[in-house]
Amino acid sequence: MSGDGGGVRVEVRDLTKRFGSVTAVNGLSFTVEPGVVTGFLGPNGAGKTTTMRMILGLVTPTSGTATIGGRPYADLPHPSRTVGAVLDSSSFHPGHVARDHLAVYCRMGGYPLDRVDEVIHQLGIGEFADRRTRGFSTGMRQRLNLATALLGDARVLLLDEPSNGLDPEGIAWLRSFLKGLADQGRTVLVSSHVLSEVEQVVDEVVVVRRGELVASGTMAELSSAATAAVVVRSPDDERLAETLRAESVQGTRATSVERLEAGTIRVEGLTTAQIADLAADHRLRVHELTPERSTLEQVFLRLTSDPRESVR
Amino acid sequence: MNRLISAEATRLLSSRLWLGALIGALVCGGALIGGLTLLGPENFDPPMPGLDTEEGVRGLLGMLSFTVFVPAALGTLAVTSEYRHRTISFTFLFEPRRWRVLVAKLITFAVAGLCYGAIVAGTAGAALYGGAAARDITLGLPGATVAELLVRVALAMAAFMVIGVGFGALIRNQIAALAAVVGYLYMVELVLLAVPGINAAYPYLPGGATASLTGFTYLADAIAEQTSGSSSTLLSAPLGALVLAGYAIVAAALAVAVPLRRDVT
Repeated sequence: MSGDGGGVRVEVRDLTKRFGSVTAVNGLSFTVEPGVVTGFLGPNGAGKTTTMRMILGLVTPTSGTATIGGRPYADLPHPSRTVGAVLDSSSFHPGHVARDHLAVYCRMGGYPLDRVDEVIHQLGIGEFADRRTRGFSTGMRQRLNLATALLGDARVLLLDEPSNGLDPEGIAWLRSFLKGLADQGRTVLVSSHVLSEVEQVVDEVVVVRRGELVASGTMAELSSAATAAVVVRSPDDERLAETLRAESVQGTRATSVERLEAGTIRVEGLTTAQIADLAADHRLRVHELTPERSTLEQVFLRLTSDPRESVR
Repeated sequence: MNRLISAEATRLLSSRLWLGALIGALVCGGALIGGLTLLGPENFDPPMPGLDTEEGVRGLLGMLSFTVFVPAALGTLAVTSEYRHRTISFTFLFEPRRWRVLVAKLITFAVAGLCYGAIVAGTAGAALYGGAAARDITLGLPGATVAELLVRVALAMAAFMVIGVGFGALIRNQIAALAAVVGYLYMVELVLLAVPGINAAYPYLPGGATASLTGFTYLADAIAEQTSGSSSTLLSAPLGALVLAGYAIVAAALAVAVPLRRDVT
């Protein structure tokens, strides 16, 4: 079961899930590596939760496989010792105090009851460990969820939207917590529909849209896809746009040229200098050249926005 | 399996469900029988034989079997609350072989049901003798027979708690499961009894099996009267117990075959 240095790899291959006529996940493949935090990103309804539930055997795939250390979840000899997971924002009996909730699952996993106190300490939830969960805030619930997932000291952690509903302080805490887990060589997959909440902690990303993979790789790779654009103001905008579309400058050609409004063009794939030179060669006037730096968030939004919707 | 049973026992004992069950057992056992004993069956409307007769004591203790819906509802709640409060995700993550979770619940609640039944029967017995002593009545049934009837009541209570667990797992939705279990006991079966042909199967229906286990046969006698002679004889007490256990096992087996395999979304 162990891969590199005791790390456990999660592999999703050609995973498809249809609920009636709705295809929630379509031919999805990706790998989650140990020792890093992988962000599983996409808008709500992109199939993230369904995919995670398929990895954990809670939802049966229509086709394809999901394995953890080479085995399907249900075939793991010690499931809760191998994978810790958080799927629902609240999954506690409201009449249970936090400590009892943990004790139920501690026994179910076959762990010594000392583990309850250990995870209570680890998650810093001692303050409300003896209170009934019905009155818990979102932050308390998320921490109790994490505590439950950590009972088995698992090598793999799958967390569905763990930052949902957390305040900035909670998010900062979660980041360092997840980082710490990955630094111990664990495999950490964290889903989110908001890139900025996990941007600082994830090393790898898997981006999905409408159940299909749209991008995967390191955060650096995703950043490099953040193509710089230049906004050009010119009274000769029409001719300039034609020229930019037709001509190449030092072997590079604009990847996108669009007229925003009369007198303004947005160009991708060329630098300001290249655009100015090209305009001079064709004796076209340029009044202003403004580099537009697209943020990672914009890249994310572009990747995950539905092309059918952006036509509107 | 031990770790699963110990987890289910912890789950039961750390919510307040057990406290509700305890109160239920005291009300349905000691309080019910104590009250009826003090009132006296001869003062019922219509009057029933007094406690100094055998029918009187049997009839009074027979009232206990009308409360089997309480353990049935408790067993149902025990499973459906996992779906309602979404703890089922964690449960199936910690034990992906879902049938084992259900078996652990059946075992845990069989034991819990026996405890429930013991409290009902014990307090009912104490209330019966206490009440009779207070009214200076000598019971028309020897102590050994009373004790045997109470043990049979306790077993019926345990059987219905297990049936509740089976149907809770089968139906999953809390309200629907409660309505099905309690509604069946109080309405559907009575309606079925009016249908010629089906009432011949009464000994094998939960109510008939309960009657043979507990030895309280008023309903069976009434049916025999209505169907004029075609009296369907009840099963023996052990067979009645087996039929009840069979309902729980069939419900649990169906639950393993269908709902437990469904996606937990």
